[in-house]
Amino acid sequence: MATRWGVLSRPGLVSRGHLGAALAIATATAAILWVLFKAFGAGFGRAGNVPQFLVVGLNGLSLAGLYFITASGFTLIFGLMRVVNMAHGSLYLLGAYIGLSLTDDGVPWFFAVLLAGLFVGAVGLVMQQLFLRWNQGQELRQALITIGLSIILADQMVAHFDPTPRTIAPPEGLTGSVGLGVYGLDYPAFRIFVIGAALLIGLLLWLLIRRTRFGMVIRAGVDNSAMAAALGVNVQLVFAAAFFLGSALAGLAGVFGGTVLSVAPGQDDKFLLSSLIVVIIGGMGSLAGAALGALALGLVEQLASVYLPEDYTNYSILLTFILLIIVLAVRPTGIFGRPE
Amino acid sequence: MIRYRRAWMIGSRAVLVLALLIIALVPVFFSTYFTGAVAVKVLWLGLAAASLTFLAGQGGMVSLAQTALFGVAGYVTARLMVYESMSPWLSALLGVGGATAAGLVVGGIASGSRGIYFLMITLAFAVVAYLFFSQVSTFGGHTGINGVIAPPPLDNPTLKPTVVYYTCLGCSVIAYLLVRYIGGTPFGLALQAVRDEPERMNSLGFDVRLHRTLGFALAAAIAGVGGVLATWQTQSISPGTIDVTRTIELLVVAVIGGLYRLEGAWLGALVYVLLDTYTRGLSGRFETWIGIAFVLIVLVSPDGLTGLLARIDRVFRRPVRRRRRRRGGAGGPLTPSGRSVA
Amino acid sequence: MTVETAMLEVSDLDAFYGEAQVLDGVSFELRGGSVAIVGRNGMGKTTLCRAIMGIAPPEAEGSVRLNGRELGGRPSHVICSAGIGYVPQGRELFPSLTTDEHLRMIGSRLMSRGRWSVDAVYDLFPQLAARRRLSAAKLSGGEQQMLAIGRALLTNPGLLLMDEPSEGLAPAIAEELLETCTRLVAEGIGLLVVEQNLGVAARLADRLLVMISGRIEDEMQAAALLGDEDAQRRYLGVEALAGTEGP
Repeated sequence: MATRWGVLSRPGLVSRGHLGAALAIATATAAILWVLFKAFGAGFGRAGNVPQFLVVGLNGLSLAGLYFITASGFTLIFGLMRVVNMAHGSLYLLGAYIGLSLTDDGVPWFFAVLLAGLFVGAVGLVMQQLFLRWNQGQELRQALITIGLSIILADQMVAHFDPTPRTIAPPEGLTGSVGLGVYGLDYPAFRIFVIGAALLIGLLLWLLIRRTRFGMVIRAGVDNSAMAAALGVNVQLVFAAAFFLGSALAGLAGVFGGTVLSVAPGQDDKFLLSSLIVVIIGGMGSLAGAALGALALGLVEQLASVYLPEDYTNYSILLTFILLIIVLAVRPTGIFGRPE
Repeated sequence: MIRYRRAWMIGSRAVLVLALLIIALVPVFFSTYFTGAVAVKVLWLGLAAASLTFLAGQGGMVSLAQTALFGVAGYVTARLMVYESMSPWLSALLGVGGATAAGLVVGGIASGSRGIYFLMITLAFAVVAYLFFSQVSTFGGHTGINGVIAPPPLDNPTLKPTVVYYTCLGCSVIAYLLVRYIGGTPFGLALQAVRDEPERMNSLGFDVRLHRTLGFALAAAIAGVGGVLATWQTQSISPGTIDVTRTIELLVVAVIGGLYRLEGAWLGALVYVLLDTYTRGLSGRFETWIGIAFVLIVLVSPDGLTGLLARIDRVFRRPVRRRRRRRGGAGGPLTPSGRSVA
Repeated sequence: MTVETAMLEVSDLDAFYGEAQVLDGVSFELRGGSVAIVGRNGMGKTTLCRAIMGIAPPEAEGSVRLNGRELGGRPSHVICSAGIGYVPQGRELFPSLTTDEHLRMIGSRLMSRGRWSVDAVYDLFPQLAARRRLSAAKLSGGEQQMLAIGRALLTNPGLLLMDEPSEGLAPAIAEELLETCTRLVAEGIGLLVVEQNLGVAARLADRLLVMISGRIEDEMQAAALLGDEDAQRRYLGVEALAGTEGP
């Protein structure tokens, strides 16, 4: 058999991995050089392209902030429980709709974001307790279950909320634009707020995981949940708490996203996709990976829409996929991913 | 006891023969609408689902990219036929070729990952493909491509449902037999071995990724045939036919039928299309019910309807044995007959 | 409760990995002090530890009582809280945690209920104090075993359950750890140790239980087994004759 199908046996000394990595790095370098040339090639003056570069860069950063807040919950849940929550996008959209309904009823934005986070966290918790808790370790089955739940959630949201695309009004004081102080540029205050919020959430999560006993227990549970339990840790309780937190982050992100972008059916799929890509790039279960992946995705999306040659801007979506390919060619488990 | 067993065996065989007879003579028994709209859709949806069932069952790869590959074939066919005025047969051939090529690329990337990672990467590809086709004007953007005409014997499918039905049936039978045949070839056996013991196969000198990639490309070709047939039937293709809802729908079809038996693909398609055609109007929330049914199937009978039928069949066939079995049970869920998926 | 209850009472414990039965009606008692379970590789010793701790797999059925309280079928964390400290085979430390974090992750309710505190563990194993900030994966074998024992002590158990404590350690280091364990037993903690190495088992316990194919086959005094080469060969195989250190 092996001889007859010798074509399919390993080629031996030729390593495809290194070739792929070299090609990937070359492509990435070329892309960065191209962007730099387009941005700074015409000089640093007001007439050049630097102001546009700054605005596009900020757009990329604020988008990356949104992606990070969403994906951090996704990666937290995966990292601890190996659950790929395919309903994460639905939880995001649910958060957005709740935020929209609350602000419509006159609830201040900051309360709305908090309530949406708590409510969506509770929904995620119920989901985990009812459907996922007793399937632990059956990763694929859990993924399929969450896909089923996302179908139900999406349909129920169409039923209960107005499907016309809407935007949540930003909180008072962040409605207008602020001057950036260079080139006389103005930029929406809320988008800058999103960047700050993403940094803050990232910092808080990092402190939680690195500096608290809850974080130690989470890490111990990720490493070896049976041993953690044998040391008196109620692992089920920790799992439930982490699922609540991860879902709440999705709900929180929904309100941020609904304010910057829009609240509409289909946003659930969009943010599930972004979360998937972010964690595949960054490495499943890694917070730093989520940050890096979000940064890469947000910047590539925004820069591509401006810096691709004119006839090709429609193809910018393909760049996302190419980004994915490049990362996977170099590191199959993502930048900060542990080997499977 | 023995009598029940014989009655069951004769009865189940009779049902099977009757079912095959009905399948062979759908245009005779049913209305033109049923043949042209419902039965034809069952067949091409079944083909697309079969590509997933083949991958999941024989390759251990639960892919969400099949709808996108189906769409690649449909889009290439439609684009070449409508805009380039290429012959319908040639454009269909190139369409299937395009899907296969895309399958090689996606398979090449995703084959390094397994289980849920594979699921995620293929889903990412599916969504990117959807966004690509809905944005790029070469492929008609949001409206898609209209005015596709099927090749001569089929022409306008609404006028010739019988011919279209038998074309689809022929393709389905060929795909079914082909996949069954491949399962017994050295390549098919190696693919199954790679599914169960990738590390061991690797140390035996088999290129695991290459096997998985080729399996993926084959599945892409099958999905592509389904895509071409679908495009011929609807005489158009639009991004709506390959969005995330459709991607999930195909997974639902395959899981309802059962991911481990090839027949399940068409059975799942039959159940789904019948429900979709005749009960969607009954409840305003059809998707919710489908979602609930899907969750129930994954929870209760992970190997779907065919798995359920096989289990019932086994109960009736075997003499009743009441030996107490130790706790622990057979295999994990989603892994009937020792097939590992993760 | 006039009848004195045993510290640990295991009765009719069965365990399965899928269809395969590994433990078959294991029953024994520990009335304070220490007991060692000896037996060859693959006889079900580690399975017994996991079954007592409520770790799945295996699927276990049967009764495990600690000071009269039934623990069979309860989750691991309850069993730990009830007072069994587990030192598993191969240490099973957490690679993502530092030495200090291994100790600080123990719940405060468990930590405050007895004499063991983080500082007390560092006093017991001064070597660990110097390695506080180091990832547990970077510790030496002996230090890893100290940490595994230390974190189990922090749950302030009445009974310590140790699985192959000397495995993979240099003789001198193993000796030092055995010394510490004997001292702990002398101070009143119960010890159930599972060992392949008869020399080590005899150092830790006078009473030996011999495990063969998932059953407790015999009970002997350590001295008796040490003196009976024939029984050693039968129960432990040739390779584990008394006096040999390590496998």
